[in-house]
Amino acid sequence: MIKVSQLLKTVSTADGNLDILCGIDLEIEPGASAAIVGASGSGKSTLLGLLAGMDVPSGGEIWLDGESLKNLDEDQRARLRAEKVGFVFQSFQLLPALTALENVMLPLELAGVNDADKIAKKYLVEVGLGERLSHYPTTLSGGEQQRVAIARAFARQPRILFADEPTGNLDTRTGELIIELLFDLNDRAHTTLVLVTHDERLAARCDRCFAMTAGEIVER
Amino acid sequence: MTSRLSWKLLSREWRSGELSILLLALVMAVSVVVGVSSFVSRLQSALLSESARFLAADMVVVSRTPFSDEWVREAEAQGLATSLGVGFPSMAVADIDHMALVSIKAVSDGYPLRGDLRWSREPYGDVLAEGSVPAVGEVWLAPRLFALLDVALGDRILVGEAGLLVTGAVRAEPDATTAVFGFGPRLLMNVEDIPATGVIQPGSRVEYRLLVGGDREAVSSFTEWVEPLLEQGQRVDSIDGSQPRIGDTLDRAKGFLLLAGSLAVVLASAAITLASRRFGERHTQYVAILKSLGARSWEISRLYGLSLAVLGAIGTILGCVVGWAIQAGFITLLGDLLPVRPGHAGWTPVYIGVVTAAVCMLFFAWPPLRRLGLASPLSVLRTDVGIAESQRPQDYLLGGLSIVGLMWWYNGSAAVTMAVVAGLLVVMVLGFLAARGLLYGGRRVGGFAGSIWRVALSGLQRRGHANALQMVIFAMAIMLMLLLSIVRSSLVVQWQAQLPADAPNHFLLNLAPDEKLVLEDFFEEQGVTVEALYPMTRGRVLSVNAEELPKSGEFEWEGIPRQREANFTWSDSLPEGNLLIEGEWWDADDARASLSLEESFAQDVGAGLGDRLTLRIGAEEFEAEVRSIRRVDWQSMRPNFYVVFPRQVLEQYPGMYMTSFRLLPDQKPVLNQLVSVLPTVTVIELDLVLREMRTVIDQVAGALELVLSVILASGALVLISGVRSSLDARLRESALMRALGARARVVLGTLWIEFLVLGAMAGTLAAAGTEVAAWALQTQVFDMTWSPTIALWWVGPVTGALIIGALGVWSCRRVVNTTPVALLREV
Ligand SMILES: Nc1ncnc2c1ncn2[C@@H]1O[C@H](COP(=O)(O)OP(=O)(O)OP(=O)(O)O)[C@@H](O)[C@H]1O
Ligand SMILES: [Mg+2]
Repeated sequence: MIKVSQLLKTVSTADGNLDILCGIDLEIEPGASAAIVGASGSGKSTLLGLLAGMDVPSGGEIWLDGESLKNLDEDQRARLRAEKVGFVFQSFQLLPALTALENVMLPLELAGVNDADKIAKKYLVEVGLGERLSHYPTTLSGGEQQRVAIARAFARQPRILFADEPTGNLDTRTGELIIELLFDLNDRAHTTLVLVTHDERLAARCDRCFAMTAGEIVER
Repeated sequence: MTSRLSWKLLSREWRSGELSILLLALVMAVSVVVGVSSFVSRLQSALLSESARFLAADMVVVSRTPFSDEWVREAEAQGLATSLGVGFPSMAVADIDHMALVSIKAVSDGYPLRGDLRWSREPYGDVLAEGSVPAVGEVWLAPRLFALLDVALGDRILVGEAGLLVTGAVRAEPDATTAVFGFGPRLLMNVEDIPATGVIQPGSRVEYRLLVGGDREAVSSFTEWVEPLLEQGQRVDSIDGSQPRIGDTLDRAKGFLLLAGSLAVVLASAAITLASRRFGERHTQYVAILKSLGARSWEISRLYGLSLAVLGAIGTILGCVVGWAIQAGFITLLGDLLPVRPGHAGWTPVYIGVVTAAVCMLFFAWPPLRRLGLASPLSVLRTDVGIAESQRPQDYLLGGLSIVGLMWWYNGSAAVTMAVVAGLLVVMVLGFLAARGLLYGGRRVGGFAGSIWRVALSGLQRRGHANALQMVIFAMAIMLMLLLSIVRSSLVVQWQAQLPADAPNHFLLNLAPDEKLVLEDFFEEQGVTVEALYPMTRGRVLSVNAEELPKSGEFEWEGIPRQREANFTWSDSLPEGNLLIEGEWWDADDARASLSLEESFAQDVGAGLGDRLTLRIGAEEFEAEVRSIRRVDWQSMRPNFYVVFPRQVLEQYPGMYMTSFRLLPDQKPVLNQLVSVLPTVTVIELDLVLREMRTVIDQVAGALELVLSVILASGALVLISGVRSSLDARLRESALMRALGARARVVLGTLWIEFLVLGAMAGTLAAAGTEVAAWALQTQVFDMTWSPTIALWWVGPVTGALIIGALGVWSCRRVVNTTPVALLREV
């Protein structure tokens, strides 16, 4: 379960303080899927980063799976991520020194999972990259890198999966394939899905849909 | 997982270059340090035995009375070799018309324990070094004694009541300077013949010498055993005393090598810092990703710590191996020139190498990586969230202090360390000032120039902070390289100047005033050029300002003024090659009672400018005022004097003359004729020593060359890693310029200008720093004279510009060789 209450995020810029999130309240039950839509710059990525514990809010509180992030330090939040959270970044974030396969193995190795390479291989095959296991990120296209990033997030079978525009760089067919994968995971493992998307079809498949405008959120 | 992951990271990261630079720098630092310090410690033991040659032993007990047998037994019980000697002046008689006052030295088998006794069959015949000592019943004579006594090989002479057979000529004794018994020419005989001569009576002026040789511990334990037993008239001579000339050369070489080692460490630490910084910068993003995937700070720290540890261990081992090879190379190079087989270096160099590696890793490689653990995972979302600053001021301070400490510990000389630090500080301070002024003023100049210049200069300015740092590091590297080259070449020049090809190689002493003309005629006839004749009178300094100095006691402590005996001379002008450091020189017609002292002599008797000395020549005492202090170049082969008077003051005292002259090897027989014409003169053959010195110098210079090239390599490494540190930004910018339509020529032109300007500025700074450090080193450490090196001021900037320019453009060559698309995808 994800619960957010009165979440604030303010940053100081050259032109004074900028409120990016102005009091967000949100509750998503376990196993549900939720879409967040909104214009560019409305604060979607910021919210997702906060939910995953990668940043600290200026006010308000977040609970992930019943645990409040408020009293956790950086390392404790990292442990929480390692155990429960998967993240697909808007800009992929693959390690350029590692091959596609090694990138996917990374979170498994960090969690000390045996057979990391078998599991990683399986997920890469599922996203259609079975042939590109030993390729380095710089030699992959944007869409291919996106799929490696998705395989990496899936491989750990997280309780909660955050995805920042997972289909943004993909053609319709591959996009659909990825959407299938996401909901398959949601069905089989009861993974909670939180997706930021501009894709109306994807938003429509989610249980819930939230719209963001200038740091405010409303459910549609 | 961490160890596997760190291994994977290490092996993957290898391609990107920072780690290989880091490892290379570490190997270089460790190998130079290990190589140089083990070579130097082996050299040290060789140097000690070199000075041992001047005693003919490792230590000598000198006594006015015969030794008790117990001492010899004790020395032998400690595993030491011993040899007995007796010295005294006496008469040698050939027949009623031919007799001479000689200085007799009787030695036992085994003499000398160190060094070689050189002798020949004929008076100036081929020199033999092998063979032992005169057999019982035989004597060897100084060459001029043959003429004085009018004897030839196989003749008999009388010493006291013993008739002895002449079987050879003494040419050089290792302890000629320390074992002097009177002024007569040498007569060498066997100690077993002494009782037969019957000349030693109670009260005779005799010096007994017990020569002792063996390994250092045994020698010092015997010294400790014997010292408390010494009575009036007995003393111990050990080898720390007089420094021989070859020792001097090797000593400076040693100083140079240690300096080079320290510079290698400084350069390596700079290269390591740069490489590690860049590694750290590139890994900020990695760490953010790892953290977003759930890695904790300590896991990150362990990951990078472990990687460094692995790298450090590999570097240390490789460094020790290479260092051992370097040292073995030096030893082979110097080979049999070293007086004895160099000893073992032991484990200390390895220990030094390990500490060096640890310091490099801990204080230079680790700080930029340590803070990686603190990187925020947020930077995967936003690129502007880096780690605040990968290194803090205290990191730099700690690094700086540790390197100074390491240098000091390593070269053992505060002066060397301070000289280098002073140069580096000059570079840093000037560097940041210049960076401010020039880089920021650059745009204004660029405004008037062409478009390539404008782009280039604004580029320099935009990265102003990074550029200032880069420039200072370039300047430091160039400075250290220049410094070492300068010191090396001035050492070599000085060594060679000390042995010019046409330098006098013989000294002639004891020429009576009325023989001056005979000598001049003789040399003219033989076609030998001779240096000026110097009057020479033996005299003693008794007191300073009417305060009597203590006589040189049995034990002489450094620094306590005491009476000294010396050769006095007179001169109208400052002797050639001398430097006046205090006071003024007198006019030729000055008749005031004045004198001029050599620096160290003045210190020995405790006199300064304006003091009045009481002196004694023969039985006469007189006073004179110190009017000047001179510095004398003892390395020159000219006659040099401690005490010089105006002509009118000294001329009234009886004295002899001395001079030096040069003989070619095939002119050697001239000496035979010389001693028959002037039988009372003494000739000292320096050519044998000189030849040996020349080979040593050539070889040592070769060794220095080798070390210099290693240092140049470390310097190049720093330059490469410096250029690489700004590579990403430059590549991205250039790729964008090309993507936006700039022609390759323009992009390349801007790069050339940027790097040339950086290099020229760094070179100028380096010249300033080098000048300061070279001054400090040459005057304070190497005892050499300093003069500004004008060439530095153009060599520095020009080489700086060319090297940095070429390296920089070469590193960025991909900008024009690859498509902008490929580049943008990478960076
Ligand atoms: N640390 C920060 N400093 C300054 N501005 C920030 C910071 N973080 C976010 N912003 C601003 O907050 C706004 C929201 O950013 P965010 O990345 O959340 O938008 P987004 O909704 O994900 O947009 P897009 O759909 O384009 O990805 C933007 O205008 C961004 O510039
Ligand atoms: Mg976004």
